[in-house]
Amino acid sequence: MEQEDSGTIEREIRVNAEPDTVFEFLTDPEKLVQWMGTTAELEPRPGGKFRLSYDGEHVARGEYMEIDRPRRVVLSWGWEGEGAATQPGASVVTFSLVADGNDTIVRMTHSGLVGDEIASHSAGWDMFLPNLVGAGSGAAPNA
Amino acid sequence: MDDIIRAISEPSRREILRLVRHDELSAGQIASHFQVTRPAISQHLRVLKDAGLVTERREGTRRLYRARPEGLARVRAELEWMWDAGLAKLKEAAETEQERRQRGPMDDATTSGRR
Repeated sequence: MEQEDSGTIEREIRVNAEPDTVFEFLTDPEKLVQWMGTTAELEPRPGGKFRLSYDGEHVARGEYMEIDRPRRVVLSWGWEGEGAATQPGASVVTFSLVADGNDTIVRMTHSGLVGDEIASHSAGWDMFLPNLVGAGSGAAPNA
Repeated sequence: MDDIIRAISEPSRREILRLVRHDELSAGQIASHFQVTRPAISQHLRVLKDAGLVTERREGTRRLYRARPEGLARVRAELEWMWDAGLAKLKEAAETEQERRQRGPMDDATTSGRR
């Protein structure tokens, strides 16, 4: 693994489909689970719920923050424990979709993993400890 | 990604990680923060240790625990793996869906050999 910015994961893929087709895979629960998790509860509107279960065992939970069909989806992301009431995740996942001919360039950014304290190992835990992190404690995305 | 995500999916284990991320604490000190039984805490500590998220050190009869910095690097690696695997599947699923749309629903049963 190269030493990139340790607070952010960035990926880019080219998909041979229209942006609108790809967009539905980010907001439609039946389509979302075709590529991640096993069951999803989604409310694709700003402030709406994002809850994605992996075999009922691990649950990713957050909120949709921005929805701009078919260009952009931003959501907060964290892990919740079984039955734990968890605040929206401390990290932020952004998808941007750009048409390129018959393709769509999908750019995914998962930021806020260690906040702005990149050198500090301990800060990175905040992503996984969203219900224990006080408001504004370092894990806020600075994108 | 299973053991690491399992380890941090449990609220008590997340709380333990938070307690020991700066300070090395004994099992007893950790247990004093919780209502649950001491054996339950020991079990949580074992899960965290097995996932590589804490280190255990013996001092006399006590066992001391501290968060393991390398654990974070592993958390990141697991997360990268999750996105790489997921995005590859997204590409495949979206391209399949696009083909289906272009063919149109009526053609679904009769596409073979056409083009």
